[in-house]
Amino acid sequence: MARFIARRLALALVTLFILSFLMYGLLEFALDPLVDLRENPAPNREQLIANRVRLLNLDVPWYQRYFLWLGNFLQGDFGIGWRTMQPVGSMVRGAIATSIQLVFAATIISILLGVTIGLVSALRQYTTFDYAITFVSFLLYSLPIFWVAVLLKQFLAISANDYLQNPTINWPLVITLSLVSGLFWAGALGGRREKKIKVFLTALVVTLAVFMVTLMTGWVENPSIGIIGVGVLSIAFALGVTAIFAGMNNKRALYSALTTAVLGTIVWWPLQWLFHYWQMSWPWMLGLLAIALAVAAVIGWLFGGPDRNISIRGTMLAALFTSVLIFVDRVLQTWGPYNDTPQIRGRPLATIGAATPGLHGDFWMQQLDRATHIMLPTLALVMISFATYVRYQRGAMLEVLNQDYIRTARAKGLSERVVIVRHALRNALMPLASIVPVDFITLIGGAVITETIFGWAGMGRLFLTSLGGQEVDPVMFYIILTGGLAMIANLVADFLYAVIDPRIRVNA
Amino acid sequence: MSKRKLLATAGIVVASALAFSACTPATPTAPSPGATAGGSTAAPSGPTAVSVAWNQAFYSRNSDTDYGNATANANILYLTNDSAGYYDGDLNIAKNESFATYEKVSDDPLQVKITFADTATWSDGTPVDAADAVLLWGAVSTNFNTIEAATEEDGPGAQVDDEGNVTGVEGDNVYFNAASPGHTLIKDFPEISEDGKEITFTYSEPFVDWEILAMGPTTVPAHIVAKRALESADPAAAKQALIDAFQNNDRASLSKIAKVFNEDFNFKSMPADEELVVGSGPYVITELVEEQYVTVEKNENYQGMRAPKIDKITVRIIADAQASVQALQNGEVVVTQPQSTADILTQLQGLDNVEVLTQTGGTYEHVDLVFNNGGPFDPASYGGDAEKAKKVRQAFLHTLPRQRIIDNIIKPLNPEAEIRNTYNVVPGSPEYDATVEANGMKATYGEGSNVDKAKELLAEAGVTNPTVRMMFAQNNTRRQQEFQLIKETAEQAGFTVVDASSLDWGQLLGTNDVYDASLFGWQSTSVGVSQVPPNYLTTGQNNYGKFSNEQVDTLLNELNVTTDTDRQNEIVSEVEKILVDEAFGLTIFQFPEITGYDSTKIKNVKSIALSPTFFWNFWEWEVVA
Repeated sequence: MARFIARRLALALVTLFILSFLMYGLLEFALDPLVDLRENPAPNREQLIANRVRLLNLDVPWYQRYFLWLGNFLQGDFGIGWRTMQPVGSMVRGAIATSIQLVFAATIISILLGVTIGLVSALRQYTTFDYAITFVSFLLYSLPIFWVAVLLKQFLAISANDYLQNPTINWPLVITLSLVSGLFWAGALGGRREKKIKVFLTALVVTLAVFMVTLMTGWVENPSIGIIGVGVLSIAFALGVTAIFAGMNNKRALYSALTTAVLGTIVWWPLQWLFHYWQMSWPWMLGLLAIALAVAAVIGWLFGGPDRNISIRGTMLAALFTSVLIFVDRVLQTWGPYNDTPQIRGRPLATIGAATPGLHGDFWMQQLDRATHIMLPTLALVMISFATYVRYQRGAMLEVLNQDYIRTARAKGLSERVVIVRHALRNALMPLASIVPVDFITLIGGAVITETIFGWAGMGRLFLTSLGGQEVDPVMFYIILTGGLAMIANLVADFLYAVIDPRIRVNA
Repeated sequence: MSKRKLLATAGIVVASALAFSACTPATPTAPSPGATAGGSTAAPSGPTAVSVAWNQAFYSRNSDTDYGNATANANILYLTNDSAGYYDGDLNIAKNESFATYEKVSDDPLQVKITFADTATWSDGTPVDAADAVLLWGAVSTNFNTIEAATEEDGPGAQVDDEGNVTGVEGDNVYFNAASPGHTLIKDFPEISEDGKEITFTYSEPFVDWEILAMGPTTVPAHIVAKRALESADPAAAKQALIDAFQNNDRASLSKIAKVFNEDFNFKSMPADEELVVGSGPYVITELVEEQYVTVEKNENYQGMRAPKIDKITVRIIADAQASVQALQNGEVVVTQPQSTADILTQLQGLDNVEVLTQTGGTYEHVDLVFNNGGPFDPASYGGDAEKAKKVRQAFLHTLPRQRIIDNIIKPLNPEAEIRNTYNVVPGSPEYDATVEANGMKATYGEGSNVDKAKELLAEAGVTNPTVRMMFAQNNTRRQQEFQLIKETAEQAGFTVVDASSLDWGQLLGTNDVYDASLFGWQSTSVGVSQVPPNYLTTGQNNYGKFSNEQVDTLLNELNVTTDTDRQNEIVSEVEKILVDEAFGLTIFQFPEITGYDSTKIKNVKSIALSPTFFWNFWEWEVVA
């Protein structure tokens, strides 16, 4: 094991060294730090050029400069962005945090959504639903993000804000969306023709009703969940989780999940007072979440029975969901005041930046402000990246479903739910172990175009700006960081795979 | 459970839930007043605020160092630092006597006296005076630098370590990372009046653009620099210490001052020390978020004449042109000046409430010819027959489709675009029309595309099918289009035009044996004339085509030492006349610039061709109620 890691690390270091040397050389040819001075008619240009040559050691051949740079880099001195004279170390600190903030949510949502849809798509192989999902995911995958981003801004920010200021319902759109929802659910749940028609009609009516209620009661202009919303949604979630992971026949799991949901709903009330009297912060939030999960685990354990772990898992999921609901509910309570602030004035959806300048709201309003800013870029990233997961998961699931042990499981009379959730799903998730770590670690590299269009100052934007500004040091840092992390991610993926899959051995 | 029981339970649950939700804490309200509007107007009673867009983030409070010299900094400093003069909407120099007045007290030697007004104060209450002017001069003149003289071999030279800190400055070496050719000519220590309000600079030789230097007599506050460098907390004592350091050339102190001047004022987020943002202008920086925005608020201590009407201005950083237009549409900013393309202009014009200003920017496009490379324009190619070479040059310039380039490429962006008919004078500036009249460029070449005249000239010269290699930036689409138009008409007249474009065109300009004509832009940064001589003097550093004319040299050398504005203009006109007669090259157009602003939220926005573009009249901006 140790030998394996050592060998891989040594290889990674050599690769990094070669990579950095080549990139430094290429940058030397691609970038010209004196370019702006050449077009400058100032009479003292020679002096300006001399100053810059001295600043950047340009009189030294590049391969020598590379080793100067490497020596400093290894000692933790990453150089400067000479245009602004900022040390690279301080430039990237903010940029990395911004990139992670921007891409983290998008990646999680892409994975959850992509994997779920991929699974369903595999279960409905060669149906219209499957073809439709394939078509849509490829369509989204092939869209250029700069175009998607512009459209999203136009429709989901500018037009949506116009709607909020002057609500007039667009009926054709509402009806189209309801029809799409009906078709989606009918396809996803499948079954016989009559069942499909039933599902289609139900979904159509429910969606339409939801639209009408939210739009016509003014819920959209002033959204809230409230204790009733929290209760209803929590209980529905508890039922759903139990149905999928434990089966409705497992009464212990059912009751423990329901208890958690109801308890969570009751806790909503004292929490309102806590939120009112104490200034909240992220440590507080995480602490409360931890308590909720712990309590949920205890509930699951107390209901006990032979399948304790199933109950505990169910209650913890239910607790997580209810906690998030309570959080969202509290954030939405600031919607009205947020809209009334002089910075927002009834146009809450933002097209640019990570926060509204000069908005000095409390913790909750800051979260709402962050949400209105992060919504569009997240959506854009999800739209173009979830297709990969859909295709990947569909393939993995189909491969597993065609294996003999699945047929055996069915033959011995297990219910379809148990066959799919217990026998197939676990194995079908294994390949994810090799792509998810890579996706997560490359987050730090940022989303170059998305950051530029949405005005987020992350790593991608830093890279572009530095490249355009002929600054070698920040670009090199970016390359070393992304290159290094990609190697680590691959190592982690290999390692994780070996841990999950007993057929693979690390020592090989 | 029976159905009845179930219903009863549900009823109780819902009722108690309603009861619960009824007795929760009061709904939160908007944050306390004092917060102000971003992008939109504030309530009539509250403070007024606007957000505007710019494409690059602020990064240095000191724009007088080499690297701090960028428009992103200059714009913010224009709001937060006062000056004795500024460019008005017609590019005239307007005086701001509430800050300082300047006058030329003598021509030989050139002496300029600057008098700071009593209303000129830094935002911390310290008066602006001679010490601040001494600091700017001492720093950017580079006369106090000890590093320049030292070479690699014979002494400890200044070197820059990878953190960008200039090493070798410690101890007795002094290195201000700045350069200003005008200030360098002031060798003697200036005369300072008793009360410290008047300072008189004596130039060792005349300097044409003395007025432009006198317009901005200060940069960073001297008492803050001295406090940080020399650790004297009392402002008056600090100022005196700084003056003494320069007067006595106290290298130990100067090296510390230089370090503070070079390094301390570079920041991209709000510095911990608020003293670093002290300024003398109508606004002070109150919030600075890295790569996101910078907010300036009214300076309580400002007593000058540029008192603004808006309480708070936020400059948001939006690098992408398209994104800034959508931010304008969504009300997140009220003014934007995106990089001009036809698409962006159409999009801006399509927006309701948005007023679009199209005007000329600071950069102009021009074609220069090469005189000494043995090519078609070099007399040496014709056995030294200067007349013959001149005719070939004139023929080529006559073919340049100046009007067509503007119609096809520039008009879509700026419908009022016109041919630029001067080499040196910015269109729209006071001297432009007179210079056009005098230099004859318009009369001689007019709209261009004059194929017949070109054929005639080539026939007179007896030259058939000369080959012209044209160099321009290969990755610049606009210039590729221009080149196509130029090639088309020139080939009709019998020239063969070869594409010699390159990505390294900037480096190749100096090696003029690889091209015969070049197509690129020069950027005007002021209406001053000190930029003129380097372009046309035989030994001028920007004279890439190696044009050489004795009369021009004489005139330009005279210009270099002429401080009388009228005589300066005369000389420039005479030089331009010779340049046209000798077929030096031609200017084509001024780069277009688009400004869009939301007229339902802000009024009185205008823009000028020079920095600080649309910020120039910020004190006239008003929010629309």
